[in-house]
Amino acid sequence: MAEPAIDIQQVRKSFDGHVAVRDLTLQVPRGTVYGLLGPNGAGKTTTIRMILDIIEPDAGTINIFGQSSIRGRDGNRIGYLPEERGLYKKMRVRRVLRFLAELKGVRGRDADERIERWLERMSLTGANKDWGNARVEELSRGMQQKVQFIGALLHEPDLIILDEPFSGLDPMNAQALKDTVVDLRREGRTIIFSTHLMENAERLCDALCIIANGQKVLDGTIATVKAEHGGQHIAVALGQDRSPAINDIFADRALVKTLDDSNRTVDIELASNASPQLLLRRLIDAGAIVERFELVQPSLHRIFLDTVGASGVEPGMSGHG
Amino acid sequence: MGKLLAVIKREYLERVRSKWYLFITALGPIFFGIIVIVPMVISSRTRPSPDLSHVAILDATGTQLGVRVSSELAGGISASEPSRAIVRAVPPSELAQAESVATHEVMRAKDPLMGYLVLDSATLAGRSERYAGRNASALVDVKEIEGAVQRSLLAQRLENEGLQPTRIKALTDVNLDMKSERLSERGREAGGLASALFSYVLAFVLYMMLVIYGQQILRGVMEEKTSRVAEVVISSVSTDTLLAGKVIGVGAASLTQMVIWACSSALVYKAKGAILERFHVANVQIPLPHIGFGVAVLLLLFFVLGFIFYAALFAAMGSTVSNEQDVQQASMPVMLLLIASIVFVQPILLDPTSSFSKVMSWLPFSAPILMPLRMTMIQVSSLELVGTLAGMLAGCIVATWFAARIYRVGMLMYGKRPSFRELGRWVRRSA
Repeated sequence: MAEPAIDIQQVRKSFDGHVAVRDLTLQVPRGTVYGLLGPNGAGKTTTIRMILDIIEPDAGTINIFGQSSIRGRDGNRIGYLPEERGLYKKMRVRRVLRFLAELKGVRGRDADERIERWLERMSLTGANKDWGNARVEELSRGMQQKVQFIGALLHEPDLIILDEPFSGLDPMNAQALKDTVVDLRREGRTIIFSTHLMENAERLCDALCIIANGQKVLDGTIATVKAEHGGQHIAVALGQDRSPAINDIFADRALVKTLDDSNRTVDIELASNASPQLLLRRLIDAGAIVERFELVQPSLHRIFLDTVGASGVEPGMSGHG
Repeated sequence: MGKLLAVIKREYLERVRSKWYLFITALGPIFFGIIVIVPMVISSRTRPSPDLSHVAILDATGTQLGVRVSSELAGGISASEPSRAIVRAVPPSELAQAESVATHEVMRAKDPLMGYLVLDSATLAGRSERYAGRNASALVDVKEIEGAVQRSLLAQRLENEGLQPTRIKALTDVNLDMKSERLSERGREAGGLASALFSYVLAFVLYMMLVIYGQQILRGVMEEKTSRVAEVVISSVSTDTLLAGKVIGVGAASLTQMVIWACSSALVYKAKGAILERFHVANVQIPLPHIGFGVAVLLLLFFVLGFIFYAALFAAMGSTVSNEQDVQQASMPVMLLLIASIVFVQPILLDPTSSFSKVMSWLPFSAPILMPLRMTMIQVSSLELVGTLAGMLAGCIVATWFAARIYRVGMLMYGKRPSFRELGRWVRRSA
């Protein structure tokens, strides 16, 4: 098996009595899009900061492309987009990008050429307007986010860490970002992104890890996670308003373990001894007009809710993942 | 090293490109010009006009008195330039007409005369003279003309009594130049007042630079932290590199400004004569203390070490705040050190050799301001200077050590400002 892009072993980090990350062990395979999921305060940002060497773990080891987490690791192979966006407001866009490139060892004409390429790719320069000469504060939030995204990619890193990359983006910009992530993945780069948006994670990630209370709850490829999470999940759509008899069926814990009511569609996880046939028969007997009755895999959203629940946040932690 | 240079470059260029920086830099020589030239223009009101001799002298005495007065107005025997006075021998009966012509010459637009002087029999008798001109209300000019006529009349009378003109010149050639010396129990050198003023201005400029640029660093750090751009930067460079780059970059910007100020002020000082001439004010040499190469290097060293000391502390304090409201409180401990230095400028100015002055100029936090003040006023021993510089160097090392530790933790801590106890914990944590 190829050496993973990131290998975290038994990492622990605490701040003034609060354990932010608790004996975390995970591997991020090379060339994958890897989702780091978890509620606020779960320890995602602390984990990311340790990967980036911004803070050191109290215990355990972190290897990036085989290099240990001791100081001096080649940080130029990593690109980082933090959760809370920020740039030098008074600086002009090209100068900010030039500075960020220089911090990663890209200089001179090479830096300028890459900046121009990316500004064009992200539609920040064009016939009508060249935002490259504008001050950062003159840009919309979405555009600022794109500039910061460019800053994370200018040095063509092998590992890209995107902390909540889609927050605050309109659908157009979110799509542009998704397309770029897919392109980067095709180029063989490894992308880690933390997100609360399960739909994005489900569509983009090859593998994922859910952490809560600073601990890993589950990890693996999307297919394995869904398979392991098991259970019989059924999507049901009815052609009429629910009668009391139908509601009684849904409330029957011997038949239905959990239920996610999305108005038109109801996602049901069957109880361990129940069968889809039994549920279907009970619904028809109760006079239901069944428009859809489909065996489905559990959604990531469902898995997330089931595994993390409402108790996934470490008490007293800040709002950072 | 490349990353440190990138941080230094950003800090330096973003500052020197700002409109504020360019405005203040341009203002320096203008301000210097104002504080040097305006007092001289004002004081010129107590000095005769330089072209006092540009007058018409209507001599109705029938003697050579007019010619003598003309020579006196130009500065007498010691005059460096020939007199510009136009002497007209006028019969007493035609005096009124001559005065009318002279009035016209004073009022004309092109090359007007300053005024005209009437010498007649009453003048010869030693009773009166008349002067009419644009500067007739300027007391010093009138006094100067009066004195010139008196000296000329005296010389003429002596000649009439048989004294040789050369003898008269020798006897009446009195041109005293009074040199003032400030006397106190310590004794003072010539031009002591100007020297003290220079030292005071120097101390004040150093104080202002430390306060202004220190505050800029504090705000810059806070903005980097609150905008979260710091997180991107410190994922690429260590916090120590970022701190060092910031201090060096901002320090270089302030040093550039000081060098521009010093050079442009020197140019203004050199061009002082030409500027003053436009205001019709005579150029006067101001006895400034001599700043040789050695002193200049020492001043530079004191500023650089002082800047590192304060910039590091300001940066550390900046990393402890997350909002604008806390800035004043956070900067207060460092500001107190600076204020404690500037309040002792006055006592040291009055007595730079006292034990108190010596001790205050040795302390690392006050030395950057008070030692340059002392060393431009009096001769400070080499041992004292070396000792103070060594102390400042040690102070810088300790300050940057503490600052780096606070900065390392503070840049990633959000929320309420830490107490001093918490700061102590930060220092221990990152030690």
